[in-house]
Amino acid sequence: MLVRNVTMQGHKDHGKSTLIGSILMLTNSVSQARIEEAKKYSQKLGKPFEPAFILDSFEEEREGGLTIDTTRAEASYKGVAFELIDVPGHEELIKNMMSGASFADIAILLVSAKPDEGIRDQTKRHVFVARMLGINSIIVAINKMDSVEYKKEVYDKLVNEINSFFKNINFSGSVRFVPISAYNGENIKEKSEKMGWYKGKPLLEELFFLSKKKDKPKIKDLRAVVQGFIEEENKKLISARVLSGCLRKGTISVYPNGIKRKALNLIVNGKKVAKACENDTVAIELDAPLNEARGLVISSSSKPIITKKINALVFSTIKLGNNSKISIRLLGKEFAAKKLSINEVIDASNGLHKKGNFIKPLDAGRVAIDLGDYVAVEKYSELKGMGRFTFYSGSKFGGVGIIE
Amino acid sequence: MIEQNLKELEERSIFILREAKSKFKNVAALWSMGKDSTTMLALARKAFLGKVPFPVIHIDNGIDFPETYKFRDDLTKKWNLDLIVAKSEIKPEISGFSCCGSNKTEALKKIMKEYKFDALIVSIRRDEHGIRAKERVFSARDKNFRWNYKNQAAELWDDYSSKIDTAGHVRVHPLLDWNEIDIWRYIKKERIPVNPLYFSRNGFRYRSLGCTHCTVPVKSNAKTIDDIIKELKNTDTEERAGREQDKEKEYVMQKLRAFGYM
Repeated sequence: MLVRNVTMQGHKDHGKSTLIGSILMLTNSVSQARIEEAKKYSQKLGKPFEPAFILDSFEEEREGGLTIDTTRAEASYKGVAFELIDVPGHEELIKNMMSGASFADIAILLVSAKPDEGIRDQTKRHVFVARMLGINSIIVAINKMDSVEYKKEVYDKLVNEINSFFKNINFSGSVRFVPISAYNGENIKEKSEKMGWYKGKPLLEELFFLSKKKDKPKIKDLRAVVQGFIEEENKKLISARVLSGCLRKGTISVYPNGIKRKALNLIVNGKKVAKACENDTVAIELDAPLNEARGLVISSSSKPIITKKINALVFSTIKLGNNSKISIRLLGKEFAAKKLSINEVIDASNGLHKKGNFIKPLDAGRVAIDLGDYVAVEKYSELKGMGRFTFYSGSKFGGVGIIE
Repeated sequence: MIEQNLKELEERSIFILREAKSKFKNVAALWSMGKDSTTMLALARKAFLGKVPFPVIHIDNGIDFPETYKFRDDLTKKWNLDLIVAKSEIKPEISGFSCCGSNKTEALKKIMKEYKFDALIVSIRRDEHGIRAKERVFSARDKNFRWNYKNQAAELWDDYSSKIDTAGHVRVHPLLDWNEIDIWRYIKKERIPVNPLYFSRNGFRYRSLGCTHCTVPVKSNAKTIDDIIKELKNTDTEERAGREQDKEKEYVMQKLRAFGYM
């Protein structure tokens, strides 16, 4: 079955967990026992039935009415398995949101139509980050339409507002808009009769449509990132993950140093193979040992970018200035940044340039980082897996970056 | 129940097992002789070209089923496993929370300390339980085995070995993305040996295996792997319905996990 990872995005209380609960019930993807348990618990808390409780399992989540950490549930629709990733909307929990959303191909952005809710900074920040995490398709679900009597004007106004934000951040992927009521199940599986003015498809149909798209890396040549030695003592046996192209037996180049080796044997999932292609994790038997393995890049024809210094767009969860000491995790390896220069500060809640020489938490910016060592990388737009990184301040998570 | 792409799942698990082995000095795995941890061992054999390169721990409270002990000994021999048996005491109130919680966790703590393991491979899956769905692939436990679920480390993309701040050990979950039905399809495809208790006898079979005191069989006529797969496609009950501890109180699983249970 085709599996697609779909992350919820949006401000807290705009209905992310409720929408998943609703989808699970409408597609018969959750057991009656789990629904009963959620019902029982809603009752215990003196609340009307809360579909979000199908997802929110922690005591603190249910009592507090918020999602703390990311979780997943599966729904199948028309032969596609949608792995629905719930994430917390609260801004302090953004690292949990990012952990969940980093697996997704598609995002459903929840925006509440309630007059006092609407498009919030956090809503836009989630979109800003989603794009950096690898998401190309976004469904904007204007939720809680029941609270505004399913009025077209409310929907249109929000759609315009979000569209101008997408323009600000140069979002080039697919965007679809659907008015829904997650709680009442309106426009989720069937077209809602309450919104006859809406000419598009219900949410699950839009999801189905987007599930058929799959972005391919722009680089067609072989790039494989080395994971490490398979046995510490045998330095001729390495493991690598192929990100683009195919690896065949014979001469390979190992970067950043450009050392030549011969691949004598290739083993994928326990079987000897003639070639290993995109997404394979391959065991490679080399003709001669390597001194080190982790974070190296294997190529056969064209050369990756070899550099000590990277230019990147970052989204930061910490304060980041020219003097910040950070470490970069790139290609599974860690680099203590020798020098960090903030070249531009960007307000992640509107995508616009901002004055100043430091990036404050939950904002973005363009930076130059001196890694102190040569690495083989690619631009994120060319090959995601070789152009993205996370950074830390000590052991504290600091954010994500993409190489431009 | 949703069937996923086995090749993708297999690839991811192999990647995770190799990450664990290269990141940590002293890795061990828990082996309950159940279908999941046995599948994990089969995957480890693929990841490390024919052998399981870490010890496997059986936490033995002495009241597992006779079939389970036989299965353990047969496979240990066949796959040349480095088996560590951690004897756990039976306390008078042996059911649910206390049976699986304190008894087993205490035995594991002792073994982890004795052998100084810094990583423990545990074959849990997200679809088993709402709390397990919240887990990371690499998940830290402190010195006292506690899981700080309120502040889990960031884990983006396939960077499982990202910074983990712990003075304790790290749980590694290579099967987190698998569904129950995927496990059975893979067992069939790879001809992985399974404990006979999973198959129906006199109209009952075990769908999830714990010790004799805290697991009960479910009604089933599934006598073969194909029967089981067919049964799972149509079932509406939860896999762990036969596990006492999950039902005792709300949040029992959350508490068990927070205190170090698998």
